[in-house]
Amino acid sequence: MMANFDQVSLLLLVLVPLAGAVLTMFLPKDRPRDAWQFAIFVAAISFVISVVVFLRYDYAAAGVQFQREYAWIGHPLNISLHLGLNGIGAPLVLLNGIVLLGAVLISQTITRRTRDFFVLLLALGAGVYGVFIVRDLFFLFFFYELAVLPMYLLIGVWGSSTDFGTFLRTKEYGAMKLMLVLVAGSVLIWIGILALYVASSQAGEPTFNIDKLAQLQQNGAVSRITELWVFPLFAVGFGILAGLWPFHTWSPDGHVAAPTGVSMLHAGVLMKLGAFGIIQVGMLLTPQGAEVWMPVLIGLGTVNVIYGAISALSQNDLKYVIGYSSVSHMGYVLMGIATLHPVGLAGAVLQMFSHGIMTALMFAMVGAIYERAHIRDSFILNGLIKRMGTTTFFFAIAGLASLGLPGLSGFIAEFMVFTGAFRTYLPLAVLGVIGAAITAVYILRLLARSFFGEADPQWEHLTDASPVEKGVGGAFVVILIAVGVWPAPLLNVINTGVASALSVF
Amino acid sequence: MPLAFLIPVFSFAACPLIILFQRWLPLRGAPLAILAIAGGFVVWILATVGFLAASADHPACDVSPITHALTCHFTTTWFDAGVPSEIITDSIHLNWGMLIDPLTIVLLGLITFVALGVQLYSLEYMKGDPRFGWYYAWQALFVAAMLTLALADNFLLLYIAWELVGLCSYLLIGFWFENPGPREAAKKAFVVTRIGDVGLLVGILLLWVNVGSFSMTEAFAAAASGQLSDGVITASAILLLLGAMGKSAQFPFHVWLPDAMEGPTPVSALIHAATMVIAGVYLVARAYPIFAASPEALMVVASIGLVTALGAATIALVSTDLKRILAYSTVSHLGLMMLSLGALGWTAAVFHLMAHGFAKALLFLGAGSVMHGVGAHGDVDIRRVGGLRRAMPLTAAAFSIGALSLGGIPILSGFWSKDEILLAVSHNLPVIFIVLTMLTVFLSALYMARAMFVVFFGTQGEDSHHAHESPILMTGVLSILAVLAIGFGWIAFNWPGAFDGFGTFVFYDHAEGFHFNVVLGVLSILLAVGAFALAWLVYVRRTLSIQSWRARFAPVLRVVENRYYVDETYQWVIDRVVLTVSAALAFFDRAVVNDVGINGPADVVRKAGIALRLHVTGHVYTYALVVALGVIALAIFWWLRSV
Repeated sequence: MMANFDQVSLLLLVLVPLAGAVLTMFLPKDRPRDAWQFAIFVAAISFVISVVVFLRYDYAAAGVQFQREYAWIGHPLNISLHLGLNGIGAPLVLLNGIVLLGAVLISQTITRRTRDFFVLLLALGAGVYGVFIVRDLFFLFFFYELAVLPMYLLIGVWGSSTDFGTFLRTKEYGAMKLMLVLVAGSVLIWIGILALYVASSQAGEPTFNIDKLAQLQQNGAVSRITELWVFPLFAVGFGILAGLWPFHTWSPDGHVAAPTGVSMLHAGVLMKLGAFGIIQVGMLLTPQGAEVWMPVLIGLGTVNVIYGAISALSQNDLKYVIGYSSVSHMGYVLMGIATLHPVGLAGAVLQMFSHGIMTALMFAMVGAIYERAHIRDSFILNGLIKRMGTTTFFFAIAGLASLGLPGLSGFIAEFMVFTGAFRTYLPLAVLGVIGAAITAVYILRLLARSFFGEADPQWEHLTDASPVEKGVGGAFVVILIAVGVWPAPLLNVINTGVASALSVF
Repeated sequence: MPLAFLIPVFSFAACPLIILFQRWLPLRGAPLAILAIAGGFVVWILATVGFLAASADHPACDVSPITHALTCHFTTTWFDAGVPSEIITDSIHLNWGMLIDPLTIVLLGLITFVALGVQLYSLEYMKGDPRFGWYYAWQALFVAAMLTLALADNFLLLYIAWELVGLCSYLLIGFWFENPGPREAAKKAFVVTRIGDVGLLVGILLLWVNVGSFSMTEAFAAAASGQLSDGVITASAILLLLGAMGKSAQFPFHVWLPDAMEGPTPVSALIHAATMVIAGVYLVARAYPIFAASPEALMVVASIGLVTALGAATIALVSTDLKRILAYSTVSHLGLMMLSLGALGWTAAVFHLMAHGFAKALLFLGAGSVMHGVGAHGDVDIRRVGGLRRAMPLTAAAFSIGALSLGGIPILSGFWSKDEILLAVSHNLPVIFIVLTMLTVFLSALYMARAMFVVFFGTQGEDSHHAHESPILMTGVLSILAVLAIGFGWIAFNWPGAFDGFGTFVFYDHAEGFHFNVVLGVLSILLAVGAFALAWLVYVRRTLSIQSWRARFAPVLRVVENRYYVDETYQWVIDRVVLTVSAALAFFDRAVVNDVGINGPADVVRKAGIALRLHVTGHVYTYALVVALGVIALAIFWWLRSV
């Protein structure tokens, strides 16, 4: 029976949330709670599938598994929906299953146009799954856009505008900027994809299939010159979504405007699509370009780490702090990728997983606070621990994971990135370690300022996290600790993916 | 012995159990933590018996070719990163591993014993605290991490435990986080040690790059065999030392330890006197094969140690808060241990680490008893208490024993351990070192005498009228530690037929009997006794006045009383440099990167749109003109091509 399931599991990963989104449209408009519960049902099914898929991935056998090909457009385009999962996609599928379910649960508080909200959220989830499991560039691009486009509406309609005194950030601005910047990245990616298609046509085997293109590349069908100009397109195009400096500002501003559940998906999985794209498309299909350009990428990644951390130090808004912290942490992912070192790259993938859980947890807890206090200014909030003890506890653990405390998942990942970087770019690796120390400063300042400290009478009315929020937070905390103490189940899978990703060099 | 891993595991298990179930457990789960550490203590005894019975024939043990001490190894796989294959060789394989040698054994003994005492003592001291359960949860986590630190056989595991004890220190210093003092002190402790830890992690990774493994044994073997270049050895030694300086509060990272006194006093006794702060000394002692291979690194260790020891001793002499005096005394003694390590006095350093651990735990718990007795919950200004020996005789006796021991009065533990350090310094370092060390020893006796005489002897202070002796549980723990503060030092000697002395069990390179240099011994006795006599005359008999001295050295005094302005310097750097740069960068990000770099192109497009729409005039003749021009242009183009 499981063998039969393997035949369709990947297709189901995409179809379940998509079908869920379509069905949600037909729910009665005036019963928002039904829409929420149905979305939970859908997300829970997709979560179970993602767990099964991850567990069924046979890391000893390695390679692309559960492959299915559904032909779509024939010669000369040769586009087919080719599904398949490798060791890098598998943990990210699991991540998406976890974060999507968490985000849907946390979105209990969405009361306006609830039905439409969950339609878009589930569509976004389907798009993310699609990117991680597809082996065809055309469909990869399709799913990539499917994951990004709903963000515009999710932020623009359900977001919030904030006046920071010296400047104003409206939800419309946040949504528009996010959209335009990411679409600009998409354009670069599309040019790159077409260039590869043209190269394959010239070799007489026109295709969008990733594995066939990789084979053609290995046979020398793609000229070195092409690779040299195509890789930067992928690195920047996908990099924008990964928060690559200096194209990162859409991300913190997007967070500030986005509702909680959307922030969780945005930082939790969406930014990982970018990093995944660099590995899965850029490195795999244009390795010669990657080898030449990686020093630049690791330089930018290091800038991300330090720049993001120092910027976070001066932010007052809780969401800005976490937003810049994400920019900083995605820098570790970029650094790890750019090492082209087995340990560094495995660290980057583990960091994607770890950061996804950690940052989703932080946004969930900040959302819980904002929901009750209607403010996110860390200078006005104080003594939250008195009334919101559990929320504080969960936020503190996420914060400790973020500053790389051993025993939590972030440490293992960052440590591996440093290890790889030490072998390849020692001075930058040292800067990366320093970045982790700066993280400690802003996290601890935030904890001391807003969470600990004397209870302020104006926050006496706050109530602690709801049972749903506690459940999501508790589950995420358990994952952070489990991965931090015992990363082997994830690493066994990641290692095989990394080994094949690096075999093209 | 293979079950030694249970020593920390009990406490690791106790922590989450207490957090989750404290509401339903008797005494909020405190007995669970105490049982866990008591269990750890029992396992330690069993492991020690096993270790003493073991020999190189034991399958897991052999005599280390570097330390020449019996070393046992137990490992189990943790995780792999990167798959070893034909193409990729550079992968890492990590173990959970224990390394048990005499150093580990004595350290585990110190930690389990003091932790057990402190946790029993805390039952009374922390009674009635609203977060009683959390206190024991963090205590259990701390002990577990500290024991792991002592057992770790690879640098990564050591680093993990190292950070976890730092976290527990943060949580326990800031235990009363409602008050700004503990809150800020906790943050400061974490951040300052974290800066040192950057060095530690970089050092560990540097060793990995050059050795290809995180195993300590392999790294030490590489250092000893000359496989590593001198530059790498010195660099990694200095980097490891940075981490050690952060944890062991060595200059210039010492600033967090005095502030850490904001935590509950039993925490100060356990974490900030007897165990966590010695982690740095332990690291240098553990990684001694690397340090020993680099004379430059050893010189740096010795110099840092001396500067710290002397500087902190002077501050301790002028501080007025009892716990801060003890804190600076701890800093000073940690400096002495570092100095000893730098002077090749490895055994002396470890011996002093133990003797100081017992004595300082005693002193802190004594200070806690004083605070309990006078009802103070924070600072005890020694000028406002006095003559407490009548109201608190047991505490007074115990504290005095600790003070005399640490002050170096003969036959007490501290005398023997300090003497060994003096011997090492006089043998292996330039003469200026021994002179300044002697001065430190004198100051050390003087400030201990001052604290002891002012608080317990002399006239009754204004805060000490309602003082009462502490409960039996607290004084009981004090008594046991007092016995150790008297007698622990005697295990240094060769007791014919029973035990050959500490130096034949815990040693680096070769076993050493007990040495005693008559000249140094007499000199140090004179200094110690002289210091106590001087303090007696000044603070009890009041036949000597120091007012004129204070006036004459007023400027110097002000500098010392302000702790050499080190804290102020840091504060200035943080406020004026770090935060300014950060604010500037945040502004740059918004105003330049975003508003110019991102909004700019968008504005250009928008304005271009506004400008270009002007050509859509809606007049037919405009369009006709454009069409006509287009036709003409095309005609010319084709004509040119055909020509």
